[in-house]
Amino acid sequence: MAELYSLHWRRAYRAAYLVVHDAAAAEDVAQDAFLAAVDALDRFDRRRPFAPWLHRIVVNRALDWARRESLRRRVAREESVFEPLPPPEEVGGEMIAALKELPAEQRAVVVLRHLLEYTPGEIASMLDLPRGTVNSRLRRGLDRLRTAAEAEVAMEERR
Amino acid sequence: MRRDGLGEALRGAPIAIPDDAEERGLRVVEAAYAEREAPARSRLESRRPLPRLALALALATLLAALLLSPAGAAVRDWVDDAFTASTPKPEPTLAEIPGGGRLLVESAAGPWVVQPDGSRRLLGGYEEATWSPHGLFVAAADGRTLSAVEPDGTPRWSFTAPARVADPRWAPSPGERIAYRSGRALRVIAGDGTGERALAPQTAPIAPAWSPFGDPSLAYVSAAGALRIVDSESGERLAAAPGLPEIAEMEWGAGGTAILETSPRALRLRQVRAGKLSPGPALDAGRMLAVPPGADLVDAALAPRRQAVAAVLTHWRDAGTSSSVVVYGPAGGRQRLLTVPGSLGEVAWSPDGERLLVAWPYANQWLFLPVGKGQGRAVANVSNAFAPGGGVASFPRVEGWCCRP
Repeated sequence: MAELYSLHWRRAYRAAYLVVHDAAAAEDVAQDAFLAAVDALDRFDRRRPFAPWLHRIVVNRALDWARRESLRRRVAREESVFEPLPPPEEVGGEMIAALKELPAEQRAVVVLRHLLEYTPGEIASMLDLPRGTVNSRLRRGLDRLRTAAEAEVAMEERR
Repeated sequence: MRRDGLGEALRGAPIAIPDDAEERGLRVVEAAYAEREAPARSRLESRRPLPRLALALALATLLAALLLSPAGAAVRDWVDDAFTASTPKPEPTLAEIPGGGRLLVESAAGPWVVQPDGSRRLLGGYEEATWSPHGLFVAAADGRTLSAVEPDGTPRWSFTAPARVADPRWAPSPGERIAYRSGRALRVIAGDGTGERALAPQTAPIAPAWSPFGDPSLAYVSAAGALRIVDSESGERLAAAPGLPEIAEMEWGAGGTAILETSPRALRLRQVRAGKLSPGPALDAGRMLAVPPGADLVDAALAPRRQAVAAVLTHWRDAGTSSSVVVYGPAGGRQRLLTVPGSLGEVAWSPDGERLLVAWPYANQWLFLPVGKGQGRAVANVSNAFAPGGGVASFPRVEGWCCRP
C-alpha cells in the first residue's frame, strides 16, 4: 500500500488541487480517494491499472467539493455579514489562475484530458457523462483558457 | 493554445502542498489498510461449519416463500402490525417528563430548559444551544458569540469568534472543552471560556462529535466529506475514513463503540475500536442499516449505551404520506415502534436509553415511546407551551435530553 501511495499521491493531489484550488481541500480529496480505494480493494479487478480507478475517485470527489463550496459561498453571501474573506491565493502561475476562472465541471475535464491524459471517451466513462458533453466542456474550457492567455500576451506587449 | 503546451503547464505549474501532507496521508491510509486486513482475516477464521449455515439458509428461504406468497401477505401484515402500537391518548400539557431528566428545546424565541416536572424557562435570544455533560450549563450560540449559560438563564462567560458560530458541542464529563464551527473552521474552547483555538481550517456544515469517554478525541466531517477523528489537544489526526455520500449528520455514541453517519437515504454504523498502529481510536468499514425503498430518513439517533439506532422514516405512497419510528437493534434486527399518518420530526433517546421522544408536528404532539415493554405517552399543545406570552409559535425542536445520573 505504501508503494502504491508513493507512486500515485503527488499526481492525485495535483489533479485535485487543479479542480478545487485549495490546498487543504486537495489534501482531503487525495486522502479520501486513497481511503475509498482501500475500502473498495475487494471489488477492484487487480488485472486492471490502478491509476484510472483512483483518478476517477479523485476528480469526482474534487468536483463534489467544488460544487459544495460554490453553494456554500452563495449561501454565505446571502446570509452572513460575518463571513471572513477567503484566504489569499496560495499559488503562482498564470495558467492556474486562468484555470481557476473556469466552472468546476470544465476544470475537471481539462485536468483529466491534459494533466492526466485520458481520452474524451475515458473521461465520459469516469464522470458518467455523454461523450458530447465532455467534448463541449473541453472546447469551452480551452476557448476560455486561450482567450485568457491571449489577453495576457497583449498586456505584456503593451507594457 | 497547443494541447501539449497546456499539459506541460499543468504538470509544471507551482502548486501549494501543505507541509507533511503526503506523509500525513500515508499514515492514515496505512492505518486504514491495516485495520481492513485484520478483520478480514478474523472473519475467515471464524466461519461457522457449513451445516449450520445451510440450515439458516433453508429457514430463510422458507420464511421468504411464506411471506412472498399470496397467503403470506397476511402474515407479512401481521409481522408489521405486531410492532406497530397505536398512538397514546395525548395529555393536554407536559406535567412531567416520562422517565425523568431535563430537555433542551429550541424554539423561534430561543432555547428553553424543561425541568422534570414540566416547568420551562426561556434562556434568551440564542440561535442554538447544547447541554454540558451534567446539565449544569448550556453552551449557546448567537451570531459570532458563544456563551456558557446556567439553566436559569444566567450567563457565565461569552466569547466572540472570528465568524458565525454554529453547532456547539460540549465534551462529555469532565466537560473540559467545547467544539464548534465558526465560518468554515472547526474550533475548540475550554469549558471555562479560555484557550480558544482553531482545530481544522475547513469542515462540512455538520456538527462535530466528542468521544463519549471524555478524552480529547473529536470526530468531524471534513470539507471533502471524509470522517475524521483528531486529538483536540495536539491536533493530530487519529483516524479517518470516507464519509457516507451526502452525509448530513454524525454522532458518536453507544458507549463510545460506534459512530453513526446519516444521509437522507442511508444510515451507516461504524465500529470504533482501539487502533492497532497507535493508541488512538480506529474505524472499521461499517455496516449499512437498511432504509426501505421509497422511504426518506427524517432523523436518526444512536442510543447512549448500546448499539441501537432509532430512526424516523417518511413513506411516500399514493394513498398518502405516513411516518414510522424504527429501532435497529445491535444484532441487525429491526423493530417498528409506531406508524402514524403525516410526518414525524426528530427523535431523541432518553438518558437511560429506555425510551424515545419523537416530535409529531403534524399533530402538535410529543410522543414518549418505551423501547421495551410499557405504555407510550403523548403530550398535546406542544407549540403553545413554547410561545412566550401565550402567542402563536412554531413547533419547537428537541435539542437534547439530559442527563444520565
